[in-house]
Amino acid sequence: MEQVLFRHNRPDRSVTFEEYCAEGGFDALKKALTAMTPDEVQQTVIDSGLRGRGGAGFPTGKKWSFVPRNLPGPRWLICNGDEMEPGTYKDRVLLEKNPFSLIEGVTLASYALGVRHAFIFLRRDYETAAANLQAGIDAAKKAGLLGERILGTEFSCDIDLHLSAGRYICGEETALINALEGKRPNPRQKPPFPAVKGLWGGPTVVNNVETLANVPAIIANGAAWFKGLARNPEGAGTKLFCVSGSVVNPVCIELPIGTPLREIIDQACGGLKPGKKFKACIPGGASTQFLSEAHLDVPMDFDPVVKVGSRLGSGAIIVFDEGHCLVEATLNLIKFFARESCGWCTPCREGLQFVKEILERIERGGGEERDLDLLRDHTRFLSYAFCAFAPGAMSPLDGLLANFEDEVREHITRKRCPLKG
Amino acid sequence: MVNLTIDNTQVTVAKDATIFDAAKSVGIKIPILCHDKKLHPFGGCRMCLVEVEQMKGRLIPACTTPVTEGMIVRTTTDEIVKARKLVLELLLLKHPLDCPVCDAAGDCDLQNLTYEYKVNCNQFSDEKFNHAIDYENPLIERDMNRCIHCGKCARICDEIVSYGAYTFINRGIEAKMGTPFDGPLSCEFCGSCISVCPVGALISRPFKFKARWWALNKVKSVCSYCGTGCQLTLGVKDNKVLTTVYDENQGFHNGQLCTRGRFAYQFVNSDNRLTTPLIKKNGKFVEAGWDEALKLVSEKLGAAKGSVGALTTAHLTNEELFLFEKLFRGTLGSDNIDHSAGYAHAALTEGAQKAFGTVTSPSEIADIQKTNLLLVIKTDAYETHPVLGFEINLGVKRQGVSLRIVSDKKGKISRLPGAKTSVHKPGTEIAFVNALANVIIAENLAVAGVAGLDQLKAALADYTPEKVAAVTGVAAEEIVALAKEYAAAEKALIMLPIGLGYPGHDAALAQAVANLAILTGRIGKEGSGLLIMGEKNNSQGAADLGIYPKNGGLKGAAIIDGAANGQVKALFIAGENPVVSYPNRKKVEAALEKAEFVVVSDLFLTETAQFADVVLPAVSFAEKNGTFTSVGRRVQQINKAVKPAGLAKSDFEILNDLNAALSGKRYGNVAEVFGEIAATVPAYQGLTLSGLGDEGAVLPVAPAAKLNAVAAPAVPAAAGKLALVTGSALYHSGTLSRFGEGPMYVCGDAYAELSEADAKALKIEEGDAITVKSDVGSVSLKAKVGKRLPAGVVFAPYHFADASINTVTDGAAVTLVTVGK
Ligand SMILES: Cc1cc2nc3c(=O)[nH]c(=O)nc-3n(C[C@H](O)[C@H](O)[C@H](O)COP(=O)(O)O)c2cc1C
Ligand code: SF4
Ligand code: SF4
Ligand code: SF4
Ligand code: SF4
Repeated sequence: MEQVLFRHNRPDRSVTFEEYCAEGGFDALKKALTAMTPDEVQQTVIDSGLRGRGGAGFPTGKKWSFVPRNLPGPRWLICNGDEMEPGTYKDRVLLEKNPFSLIEGVTLASYALGVRHAFIFLRRDYETAAANLQAGIDAAKKAGLLGERILGTEFSCDIDLHLSAGRYICGEETALINALEGKRPNPRQKPPFPAVKGLWGGPTVVNNVETLANVPAIIANGAAWFKGLARNPEGAGTKLFCVSGSVVNPVCIELPIGTPLREIIDQACGGLKPGKKFKACIPGGASTQFLSEAHLDVPMDFDPVVKVGSRLGSGAIIVFDEGHCLVEATLNLIKFFARESCGWCTPCREGLQFVKEILERIERGGGEERDLDLLRDHTRFLSYAFCAFAPGAMSPLDGLLANFEDEVREHITRKRCPLKG
Repeated sequence: MVNLTIDNTQVTVAKDATIFDAAKSVGIKIPILCHDKKLHPFGGCRMCLVEVEQMKGRLIPACTTPVTEGMIVRTTTDEIVKARKLVLELLLLKHPLDCPVCDAAGDCDLQNLTYEYKVNCNQFSDEKFNHAIDYENPLIERDMNRCIHCGKCARICDEIVSYGAYTFINRGIEAKMGTPFDGPLSCEFCGSCISVCPVGALISRPFKFKARWWALNKVKSVCSYCGTGCQLTLGVKDNKVLTTVYDENQGFHNGQLCTRGRFAYQFVNSDNRLTTPLIKKNGKFVEAGWDEALKLVSEKLGAAKGSVGALTTAHLTNEELFLFEKLFRGTLGSDNIDHSAGYAHAALTEGAQKAFGTVTSPSEIADIQKTNLLLVIKTDAYETHPVLGFEINLGVKRQGVSLRIVSDKKGKISRLPGAKTSVHKPGTEIAFVNALANVIIAENLAVAGVAGLDQLKAALADYTPEKVAAVTGVAAEEIVALAKEYAAAEKALIMLPIGLGYPGHDAALAQAVANLAILTGRIGKEGSGLLIMGEKNNSQGAADLGIYPKNGGLKGAAIIDGAANGQVKALFIAGENPVVSYPNRKKVEAALEKAEFVVVSDLFLTETAQFADVVLPAVSFAEKNGTFTSVGRRVQQINKAVKPAGLAKSDFEILNDLNAALSGKRYGNVAEVFGEIAATVPAYQGLTLSGLGDEGAVLPVAPAAKLNAVAAPAVPAAAGKLALVTGSALYHSGTLSRFGEGPMYVCGDAYAELSEADAKALKIEEGDAITVKSDVGSVSLKAKVGKRLPAGVVFAPYHFADASINTVTDGAAVTLVTVGK
């Protein structure tokens, strides 16, 4: 299986700067800086079909193209390494194994966008990743691959590693921008989108770690090659899947995008734990809808997963078996979201708390039939919140009601959790 | 312009409008809890959800969504109503719903919308919030259990007040509107946050449990403190002014007020008000009837005739000042009439007169936000006129105005984004400004063909940046850079506050700054020119109506002296408090002691009234009708809100009665006198009282600009002495604000502010009792130590009667003092 992001990985440690360079690292940067214009770099990324790996799957090159050209004043690139969504740990694995693809990718994106100063916004707990990144940035700078006049060209770029003060909402790009400015991480209203008015009011691109780490390979090997990596015709590239839950071998693995869900669970992860039977999974991190057995053949790419009522999200797959109570699992996630809500808007701040209480009631056996309607109302009305947090928070509940309503109803009619004694 | 359809109505609005704005423009009301027209959109409450045909499938917030061409918007569908109900139900879930004891009841957006959306039973139930209530300060009560997280308080405090007292703290359901480290509120206490709070989470403590909102009679008026001329609405019940009611549609300031305007109305219904005339008999005041008192006064005035001296405060209405002038200059034939100590209006009556041929400055308040560069003389402009300070904040932060300040100390506005403060030695502002003019001329930055340029050039030849740098302590390069920036700006406006605390802001300084504006061709242009900020609510009116000696009569201080030396045989003082507010208190007291006959009309038995032979109880702005003319020449009406205290009469009645008794004309009513003013004062020509309406009228001005060279005065200095400068404290205005609860709660005592360096050298700490001593006297004050003052400078506000700083001042811009414990 072709490895792009994990190509340089060593089994027991992270790759060194020298090893990375020896394996063709920074060749893409050299190529871009000497033989390509910024627009050509951007066009290649557009042509490659690369879509954001941070959860929303927005076409990366298209996002870059929203940055107004020829605008005076600085513009910014921020790499989003907040990764605080339950179940998601792919960026951590990537950075612990290899910080250089990201550093090179950030530099390439900065070149394409005309950014002088880029930031990597990293989850505070990622201490190994942080150490790797800082050492990597220092090494690159020493080697003339960052800083003033990179590789003797006119292009200069620096990368600042910023450690988040830590909260899930900091991963939302506009909250992240506020956090980086030293403000409370409340999301900002969109429009204006960050590409037009972001960090300190300047045009700003926010991209996920995995997204940017893909850029060097795209520049080195071309758009067509990248497209060809996918398993499904409309897909492009590979994807990191980080699996957890009831599987034999919960791994973070790089597979062609479009690999069927069943294959990931059964082959890459060795199937369900002995004696366990598959019941449900969350395909893309805590803010995606539960899928059931019926959906296991879905190709794990953005559009196909949407078609079956969920999202590819971050590619974090959480597997549940027949012994798991999905009401309880949903409640667990809702508790997380209720706690992490930034509190800015009414539906999310008050609504999540309320949903949490209803689910608690149902799980305790005190639910009523009308609670189902209340929950359904909330999945709808919370999607009218200020930012994408609340709709994301409602996704597991939405999936629960869509695919496992019977299980919820059973809690209500039997006045207890059917899976507990 | 963009065209769209809202509820089948065609709407055309500017392209930066939101759906909410567009709906409002055609009278379609979209419910909302977190919106205020003065603030940036927030988008948090989610009440304003609407449906947009082009974005079907979800509901869109009207307040944050910009309009686009061809948009089809529906503001009420079943889904929308359901979503709004849900928002209300969620908000009510943990809300205490203690409406019966909540001061916001009746004026509460949450209550009103709950009613409108018929949320008569909540399908949800939950525990109520249990946050501790902040009762720590006497003005603003914070009950966060009632908070609906609209963020308006934090936004107004940040965006307009530029203080930043609030921020959200915590997350999720525990998120709450908090203060730094969740401590008690500590701020400017302007109450702007209360005014915008849509519920009863922030309430005015002085008003708490005073009246239900719907029982208040709301009377529109104008603030009677500073010259800004903020409009306000008085909340009246049982013949008492109980509060000020916020009205976001009032005035250029959209209902914004400062501490004094919002919290200092209590003087109207103070128990200490004078309610009957008093006549001093055998050294003691004895209550008297009006007939007796007025008879005595008119006899004495009639006997003194041309040797009457008359002082007034610029708090009086235009109509009263008109009668004042008619009585003393007309009927009695005395030119010894003045106000504001004679010096505090000179910037207008002499300075502007010489520079523009009129007793007013050429610019308007609206110019502040329209300019490109603001040159403010003294950071005190914020303290003297706080709501103009808000205009400065908005200009800098919203309109990108560059702020340059020439000041003897730093201040709050020095911290605005991009602001630069040139801190000069006290009393050297004329030298500084002359140097700016010198550079503008030397660098050929003056506009072509300005009359008198050569004479000015010659007269200012000595004010080179280098020489002036030595005098002011500001580097020559900084002076040159500022002059160039000022000259280069497309539009530039100078703001010059004046007042009793600022003897250095005189006619000469006004001419010096006028020179800058004239040299660079800024007169008569929008967003440009000069704004002289009169201290009191009617300082501009007093200048317009000629309340100053015109034919060689005695000026303010000389009138006081005249009372001592017999030149003034009878002294009439209307509302002025020279004992506290004029320099050299001992001298003033001695003069009043010696005076043959003193009449004081006032609301209170002031320090000055104590010296009177006859005291006449006058009424406040809330007990009468009339007009005030504010900074920027806006004439506005006040309306009688309550009946006079006891037997008190308005100065209109008092002056009218006296005039008639002395064989002058008796005028009918305020409207008639306003008609006389319109007929005789050129700027007021054509105005009628009824024509003023709610907005008031801005008087026209036709400045005939003329350069006048003025020399910088010598600034005294002596080894071991500190330079005392006086001025206004943020919470006070004149001496009247001492009778307002708000200002006295926040700033109840006189103080002297020292630099950290001087404090350290003198071993003085914040709060220490210190003695400030000069050649004329000494006073004991509380010490305040701060970063904003340069070493060698002491600042003291002049409002206070106990420990009044005017005990040590002598009328110069700077008084040399020694300070010790
Ligand atoms: C509540 C919330 C949390 C998010 N957290 C992350 C995160 O940890 N990492 C990330 O890359 N994107 C996260 N996102 C998505 C970002 O807002 C943004 O879309 C993304 O960083 C864009 O990068 P991409 O285009 O490369 O995917 C989050 C979004 C929301 C609403
Ligand atoms: S949806 Fe939640 S996280 Fe997003 S702004 Fe509203 S309260 Fe904050
Ligand atoms: S009173 Fe004024 S300064 Fe104080 S918090 Fe409210 S708005 Fe801010
Ligand atoms: S205190 Fe009032 S203004 Fe402030 S957030 Fe709460 S409800 Fe809004
Ligand atoms: S004191 Fe001045 S600034 Fe304050 S409310 Fe009154 S008029 Fe406005």
